[in-house]
Amino acid sequence: MHLKLISCEIFYRELCAAVSRSPNTVDIEFLPKGLHDIGCASMLARLQEVVDRVEAGKYEAVLLGYGLCNNGIVGLSAKATRLVVPRAHDCITLFLGGRQKYLDYFSSHPGVYFKTTGWIERGDSQGELRQLSIQRRIGLDMSYEELVEKYGEDNARYLWDEVCDLGRNYRQLTFIEMGVEPDDRFERQTREEAAARGWEFEKVKGDPSMIQRFVDGCWDAQEFLIVQPGGRIAPTHEEDIISLDAP
Amino acid sequence: MVDLTQLHDAILRGDAKKAVAVTREALAENVSPTELVSKHMIPAMDEVGRRFECQEYFVPELLLSARAMKGALELIRPLLVEQGVASVGRVIIGTVKGDLHDIGKNLVASMLEGAGFEVIDLGTDIAPGKIVSEILERKPNIVALSALLTTTMPFMKNTIEELKKAGVREQVKVMIGGAPVTQQYADQIGADGYSDNANGAVAIARRLVGG
Repeated sequence: MHLKLISCEIFYRELCAAVSRSPNTVDIEFLPKGLHDIGCASMLARLQEVVDRVEAGKYEAVLLGYGLCNNGIVGLSAKATRLVVPRAHDCITLFLGGRQKYLDYFSSHPGVYFKTTGWIERGDSQGELRQLSIQRRIGLDMSYEELVEKYGEDNARYLWDEVCDLGRNYRQLTFIEMGVEPDDRFERQTREEAAARGWEFEKVKGDPSMIQRFVDGCWDAQEFLIVQPGGRIAPTHEEDIISLDAP
Repeated sequence: MVDLTQLHDAILRGDAKKAVAVTREALAENVSPTELVSKHMIPAMDEVGRRFECQEYFVPELLLSARAMKGALELIRPLLVEQGVASVGRVIIGTVKGDLHDIGKNLVASMLEGAGFEVIDLGTDIAPGKIVSEILERKPNIVALSALLTTTMPFMKNTIEELKKAGVREQVKVMIGGAPVTQQYADQIGADGYSDNANGAVAIARRLVGG
């Protein structure tokens, strides 16, 4: 099959590896990491524009390399070509190889934050997306020093403790090793960050098999949603995560 | 004689120290506590809310004003209780099971306190059973639930189901919020109220207690 893959760049190494081994011919278009922070309407608009630009009749399917991602794919519709969408809350489902594995790990590790090669090397935290992020727009994306300058020491301490210290909602960094790492540099960096924050560190083996099934065309309905032209993605808030929007 | 416009301005500017000082002075001069609240403080918070809606104020300003309001209310509340004036309502608030995110929850808690609600903050990762026992013990008017992740949102539904099973669902109003939460989801799980921001949450809470 000739497939088009539109994906978050968080999967850069994993998708390149999977595509290199796939029987299919896959054209990849990566979008910048961090769209989940700009609000679901803006993320949807950007994705829809890219999906709509895909040349009609050229591909047998358009693969969408996104999870539900903070509802950022809700309302996305297939244009001339069907869409294939992983049933996933976010990228961690794909890194761990399935949504049950993700939920099992997540529920037994409260306060976990994940790292992979893409989490570390991709995205531009000072760039355009940061300026557009919800955190920025509502005034929460500020360092302690910026708060002091704007609101004074006493108020800054209060704001920092109450709403601006994003780090305190986490207690563990887990590095997911996907088998695409050149050496231990990404793991080491994660381990060092955990130590600096005083958090637990764990390394787990990822499972690239769901990513491989995605690009190979093994689209079991339990694992992937197929959206025919004109169809639209809706959240179910249930175990299957996404479904087709009722007409 | 104390200039009460200073109280209004201190809340508007988020100056907690000034708000508390002016309130103390006013109470020492026997200014009526209900007058302080209704003529000066609530109008100030309403103006804060208006500025937030117009994007003149952002979350930090909202929170600092709520803090100033809360500081002044702490001095006034015992007097209101003495006079038999009931609080606007009692709210128990928490982030649902499996979710440790508390920023949105803290913000809503502060805004509700600033609006005169009695708020019992249960914290994060709160199991449905805990909510049930707190309802039985504390008799709140409202249960407010927060979730940041689509993975933990289902616990909002679970919590409402647990409340039904325990026979306490009709004793409280349930309001929900958090980044991935929508009005559609609130309708789907039978929540009584939803807001996508902390200022709106106050309006919802007031409506739910019939205020």
